[in-house]
Amino acid sequence: MSVRASTWRSLARQLSRYPEIGALAGFLAVFIGFSLFAERFLTLASLSGIMTIAAELGIVAVGITFLMIAGEFDLSVGSVLGVGAMAFALLAKAGWPHSLAFLISIGLAAIIGLINGLLVIQTRIPSFIVTLGTMMFWRGVLLAVTGGFPVVYEGGSRLLSALGGRFAGGFHTSLFWFVLIVLIFQVVLTQTRYGNGVYATGGDPGAARALGVNVARTKIINFVLSAMLAALAGIIQFSRFKSVDPLRGQEWELQAIAAAVIGGTLLTGGYGSILGTALGVMMIGMVRSGLVLAGAPAYWYRAFIGVILIAAVIINVRIRGR
Amino acid sequence: MANAQNEPLVRMVNISKSFGHVQALQGVNFTVGRQEVVGLLGDNGAGKSTLIKILTGLYPPDEGEIYFEGRKVRFTSPHDAREMGIETVYQDLALVPLMSIARNFFLGREPVKRIGPFRFLDQKTMNDVARHVLAEIGIRIRSPHEEVATLSGGERQSIAIGRAIHFGVKLLILDEPTSALSVKETRKVLNYIVEAKERGLSVIFITHNVYHVHPVADRFTILSHGRNLGDFHKGEVTPEEISELIVGALRPEEVRQAA
Repeated sequence: MSVRASTWRSLARQLSRYPEIGALAGFLAVFIGFSLFAERFLTLASLSGIMTIAAELGIVAVGITFLMIAGEFDLSVGSVLGVGAMAFALLAKAGWPHSLAFLISIGLAAIIGLINGLLVIQTRIPSFIVTLGTMMFWRGVLLAVTGGFPVVYEGGSRLLSALGGRFAGGFHTSLFWFVLIVLIFQVVLTQTRYGNGVYATGGDPGAARALGVNVARTKIINFVLSAMLAALAGIIQFSRFKSVDPLRGQEWELQAIAAAVIGGTLLTGGYGSILGTALGVMMIGMVRSGLVLAGAPAYWYRAFIGVILIAAVIINVRIRGR
Repeated sequence: MANAQNEPLVRMVNISKSFGHVQALQGVNFTVGRQEVVGLLGDNGAGKSTLIKILTGLYPPDEGEIYFEGRKVRFTSPHDAREMGIETVYQDLALVPLMSIARNFFLGREPVKRIGPFRFLDQKTMNDVARHVLAEIGIRIRSPHEEVATLSGGERQSIAIGRAIHFGVKLLILDEPTSALSVKETRKVLNYIVEAKERGLSVIFITHNVYHVHPVADRFTILSHGRNLGDFHKGEVTPEEISELIVGALRPEEVRQAA
């Protein structure tokens, strides 16, 4: 074997240690592709539009990823996003101070997450089933409370500008929150004892327990975080639209899971990356804007995401298989 | 009673446990001396696992007492037992396959650096110590970043044993550590068990096959249908006799008379 071949092989081994490496390659391919074929893709307006989509979906997807690495699913995040936004909107409309409305809405989401976690731990029913149930339940509550009508609220505040205003250059402030959340969760996951426990919990709960990791507590905490982040994304989105309808967030759970999987996170738990998920949501954002800019009918967006999802998994499996 | 130094490391006295109508253990006495390797033998369902789960705090006993280093103890969780220096390595639960060697080595006991109010993993120490400690007891790894999934069963058992030695465990409990290994790998794992003993650890080696434990054991305890059939020092019995005791083809009295 030549020296060059073995150097390549050791480089490949080094790189395959990073779960987000496949997502990075895919990200670059999609980015370069649209830059070449979609006019006006590389403009500030286009990029800020992409990041607005990516940031809101990304905040949800970070929570999903963190929970998936601990070995559990949360299909209820789309409904919780709606509940968070609706609770905030109704409280603000009723004249509550926005900061208090914000805390109550996020707190409500934390309780929903706690219920998800406790149900999964206590009943040992798979989280896929439990959160499918709570997804339907909270969506039903949203529809029942609003009678199916959207809630509009035109008032402003410093809090709403901080969550949904714009920077210079046209980027929404949600980009800042997204980046901050990605950094915090990436550091917690890879650089702290808690993060080590999250990996172990999803990788092999039996071994983790035998080595002193509190598996049940770790999972419950991650369910709570997932719900809180979903509600935060809902309130950020509300501050941009000034309205919320009871179907807000529907199917976001699937897009968030798709972003996590594109980013290299395993459905089976124990392996994944927050940075990979960030790349995943940016890919979804690019496809959504890029296809329109390239002149394709917007309907093709879902089909394209589906193709990327499957291609990404194939690439990730190849890389991990070395 | 003698002072703590003369006491054996573990003394389980008259332990009984039943699950519903099934009497899993009946008046079992079991001791482990200091720096002693004890083979805990018995057929499936003989009560080996139940006895160990009582010792490590997973189940409370219905009756009986446990003394550790001469002091009466009552563990209510595996965490309690671990705090006292009792570490169990289960056959399939020794390590987390998708995590690196270094992360596995320190799982649950990670060293941290403080930066302001935050505590971060000290990854340099984790990698250096894992590599160094494993090399010192003769376990060679390519890199502490390597995923455990890429290692063989014997390498995994070895790393789990190396971890117990490093963290100053007093009693190491190995559950069928060699039953899934090749002959060559088995020999390596047995070497690490001897290494652990020389560094002052006591070892309980659970198995149903006496030949797996015979080369390293100082003593054998044989369980059958929830009772202790007897404790034998290595010179007293042949492995063949132990095998026959386990399956009930021989009675303990017959062995004693022959010896």
